[in-house]
Amino acid sequence: MELTFGEIINYTLIASTLRLATPLILASLGGLYSERAGVINIALEGMMLAGAFTAATVTVLTGNPWVGTLAAMLAGLMVALLHAAATISFRADHVVSGTAINLLFLGVPALLSGALFESTGATPQLPREQVLPDLRIFDPQSSPALASIFNQKPLVSLALAMVGMTAWILGRTRFGLRLRAVGENPEAADTAGINVSRMRYAGVLMSGVLAALGGAYLSIGQNSLFTRNMTAGRGFIALAALIFGKWSPVGAMLACLLFGLAEAVAIRMQGTVHLPNQFVQLIPYVLTMIVLAGFIRRATPPAALGTAYVKE
Amino acid sequence: MKRLRAILLTILLMHLLLPLTGCVTRDTAADSGSYRAKVGIVFDIGGKDDRSFNAAANVGMLRAKRDLPILLRDVEPGDPTSLEPALRAFSQYGYNLITGVGFAQGPIVAQVAADYPRLHFVLIDSKSDLPNVASLLFKEHEGSFLVGMIAASKSQTGILGFVGGMDIPLIHKFATGYEEGARYVNPNIRVLRNYVGITDAAWNNPGKGRELANAQYDQGADVIFQAAGNSGLGVFDAAEAYHKFAIGVDSNQNWIKPGFILTSMLKRIENAVYSIVRDEVEGRFQGGVHIYGLENDGVDYALDDYNRALIPPEVIARVEQAKRDIVAGKIRVTDAMAEEESRDRAK
Repeated sequence: MELTFGEIINYTLIASTLRLATPLILASLGGLYSERAGVINIALEGMMLAGAFTAATVTVLTGNPWVGTLAAMLAGLMVALLHAAATISFRADHVVSGTAINLLFLGVPALLSGALFESTGATPQLPREQVLPDLRIFDPQSSPALASIFNQKPLVSLALAMVGMTAWILGRTRFGLRLRAVGENPEAADTAGINVSRMRYAGVLMSGVLAALGGAYLSIGQNSLFTRNMTAGRGFIALAALIFGKWSPVGAMLACLLFGLAEAVAIRMQGTVHLPNQFVQLIPYVLTMIVLAGFIRRATPPAALGTAYVKE
Repeated sequence: MKRLRAILLTILLMHLLLPLTGCVTRDTAADSGSYRAKVGIVFDIGGKDDRSFNAAANVGMLRAKRDLPILLRDVEPGDPTSLEPALRAFSQYGYNLITGVGFAQGPIVAQVAADYPRLHFVLIDSKSDLPNVASLLFKEHEGSFLVGMIAASKSQTGILGFVGGMDIPLIHKFATGYEEGARYVNPNIRVLRNYVGITDAAWNNPGKGRELANAQYDQGADVIFQAAGNSGLGVFDAAEAYHKFAIGVDSNQNWIKPGFILTSMLKRIENAVYSIVRDEVEGRFQGGVHIYGLENDGVDYALDDYNRALIPPEVIARVEQAKRDIVAGKIRVTDAMAEEESRDRAK
């Protein structure tokens, strides 16, 4: 079987890149709100799992994926509240709190699915009518390429829209300015009359909602059920993308898209190219490292990232 | 310094929490005395609800619990590092028959079994030479050959897909058998082969399974056989979205997405597990390799009310003939795992 260029580079590659990048973009933007406010968020993985599980469970129980999506946002909010309370109010170490949340949400779905579905970490598979529908912007008959790229789940468009929204909020609004201020120099922000704790809470809560949406996309958008640990490390990749994108919304999106593209290419190269699969599967990671080392060079985190603020 | 402390603390915390995910409960007084054997089972990373491989083992155990005087306890490991503690915990409590599900438990069961020569162990999909270990092996290549025939008969594009979980010799066995079965019907057929990953996370990534299936359907495949645990459930979602076919694995999965699952390659783990538990209860446990193939209904293809309308009777007749020919030795199906192993030994 020889490799034909058209088998790898075509419009389905773009569609696939978007689908693979969407959960990463949502979680990455989530991480951005938290980290620009000065709170390290390695709990993205746990927040995604909470969102994915809640979305699937509530959709099974109500039959409505939109209710499931809302519930996922709420679940993300609650998990974020846990992280915020631990790190901001009780000044716990951000990494420890994040790790605890990640471990917790390996176990919670197993426990709850046992009570609800007599399962140990999976939800029943939803019928097609009950997962989030595809948007119908283009007619698949007359323009299959455009339809394949743009007729995606609404969360795909939402993820892209949120990138612009976040850039605007961060750069152009008073809220954004204050959020950045408490992340860079909380003392100065406090002196200027900004409530540091409240701003940091807001940042962490936003991150929970967005990461949970990323999880919901996995369970009731791309798939139709929750299975154990189904995020498979995407929360950590999103965090890497955030750093890789220098804590800027557009940068993070580009990093996620690059990663999505590399994975989509790897998927299409498997079996068509005479390379051991192990090498093909390394492509996304190696590419990320090359770009990181070669082009990005130095990423400067928010100055007060990871530090607790104690009011004098 | 502060960072270092945080990391150390994290590691400590993980060690405190992880063993909890795989702890074995002590027997309660209520169920002591009423059983003839204590049976423990440690599932694979996919968990007993994977609707496939582990689920089949679970069905066998539950049937044994219903019919036979046994005490049954199970453990679902949270991650690969909790496999050994779980097996050792069963051994320390003196469980008579301890089962490790999945190839990944092979070396671990062998170690534990060597330390407890008076207890009996069962390995599924892996082999050990110890006298107190029964190794249950299946001729997946033969069952895959049959579903490959059905897939090729159904395909209109002449392109089939295969989505495997982890890229390992055991899964190559499924892929190669499937491809040979497809070629037996249509020598010109093309089979696209993809694997979800190269670590055990590959069994639990339905998102990636779905994306791999999307790519194969986009390339013209119209039937995809999945052998990917939970990741395979994503393949079913793709089949439904594309209005094409998928083939299930290990358990009968025809019911999961009726009308889109052409058939399932059955690996009758439930029967094998049941009979080994019965042997234990009756004092007839035998170590060594137990092989399950077409000749003893260890592997098969699923035909039920969900898929009967999808497969024409003449195709079924042809598949049944091939089944007899394989049992009689007239058709030889390549065992990719055995070939890879002998190649490795030759090196």
